[in-house]
Amino acid sequence: MKSYFATYYPSLGAAPVESTVLVFDKNLSIGYRNANGNNATENWLIKDVQASFDFSRQVSRILYVKGAGELQVEGNDAAKFINELQAEQAKAWHKKSSGKEWIRNGALLLGILGLLVLLYLLIVPWLSEKLASKVSVKTEQQLGDAAYDAMGLAALEDKDASLVLNDFFSAMDVPSAYDIRITVVKDNVVNAFALPGGRIVVYSELLKQIDSYPELAALLSHEFTHVNNKHSTKSIFRRLGSKVFIGLLFGRFGTVTSVLINHADDLKSLKYSRKLEKEADMDGLEILLQRKIDPQGFTALFQHLKAAAPSNSMPEFLGSHPDVDKRIGYIKESSKGAAVQENEQLKAIFDKLK
Amino acid sequence: MLITTTSSVDGRPVQEYLGVINAQSIIGANIFKDIFAGLRDVFGGRSKTYERVLEEAKEDALRELSQKAQAIGANGILGVDLDFETIGSGGSMLMVIATGTAVRL
Repeated sequence: MKSYFATYYPSLGAAPVESTVLVFDKNLSIGYRNANGNNATENWLIKDVQASFDFSRQVSRILYVKGAGELQVEGNDAAKFINELQAEQAKAWHKKSSGKEWIRNGALLLGILGLLVLLYLLIVPWLSEKLASKVSVKTEQQLGDAAYDAMGLAALEDKDASLVLNDFFSAMDVPSAYDIRITVVKDNVVNAFALPGGRIVVYSELLKQIDSYPELAALLSHEFTHVNNKHSTKSIFRRLGSKVFIGLLFGRFGTVTSVLINHADDLKSLKYSRKLEKEADMDGLEILLQRKIDPQGFTALFQHLKAAAPSNSMPEFLGSHPDVDKRIGYIKESSKGAAVQENEQLKAIFDKLK
Repeated sequence: MLITTTSSVDGRPVQEYLGVINAQSIIGANIFKDIFAGLRDVFGGRSKTYERVLEEAKEDALRELSQKAQAIGANGILGVDLDFETIGSGGSMLMVIATGTAVRL
């Protein structure tokens, strides 16, 4: 915006009046006292005026083409400024300085967003996994033991069953850097889980429902894979990594943004969790196949889980595990034509449970 | 329109005082500008994006002030004072208040 003191001729041949003129980007307004002595303002669009510099009188003349008004301003600045504005307006939008700025900012924004997405989707997970794989077995054991103690599960342990399960797993003879310790906990939950560092917890209710040794072998090899492939540790680092990243970027924003972004992040981590579950299923299946144990153990196990899950099951993208039917599907697909051989030793140990 | 922060203008005595006028402009730096500025906050340096928002808010407030002055027949504004405040949750918006005395010189 610029402002000028000007002599205003309201119409051709009318008496001139003193006025103040404010020139904006798209219009100019003239303030003056009319013949009755009242304050009045006129508004002209920049595109409706003709500005020129009268060299002999050293004034800028601004003519209103839609009426008869004329403004005279001392010096050439007013005419020059209005001509510049008109030239800017005549340009196509992408050539205007404001348009150029939009394009440049848009490109910069897209570039930065792209970089952030790349960081979030590729580099942060990669770095987290790299860090997770650097964690020593001993640290993982401490972590797992701390979690186990915090859950207060030791008091509910079924010592006899734990002993049998540990025997069963050593009879399976799975090589690992981890000291696998299996605990049976008395509870009516149909579930089992693995903690980092080698602890596997099986609930007695699930154990009750298992009625053949391949099923138990499937369960233990699935949980063992979680331990052996450092799934918990990887998840922890990944969650931490993306939380820190998101916190840095969006931490300063209001509640709505952070709720939205955290939920999107949660969905993404669930997807990662499903990927790990599938990996545990597939590697667990591999352990069974190598020992010629019936892979039907997996499908039977999944049937128990399905029976225990609420009937109106959630859509897969909201779950931490893949859909049970899908799991049965890919296990069946991968175990086609598997050689099965009865393992008397495992069977004998399993029978001790019943 | 003569806009000045001083209380008088050399060689041009005030003929008429037309009263105190004020204008305000409240601008939110949008979410993208906030992201840029957030990065600046992390990496350090001058935040041009916030500086531009500040400049824009100041321009808006002065423009509105001159329009108000013009409407009441003034040709000058004396003793102009600019106040900057942040408002909104977490100071996410910027408010500029321009105050001055409209006069006829």
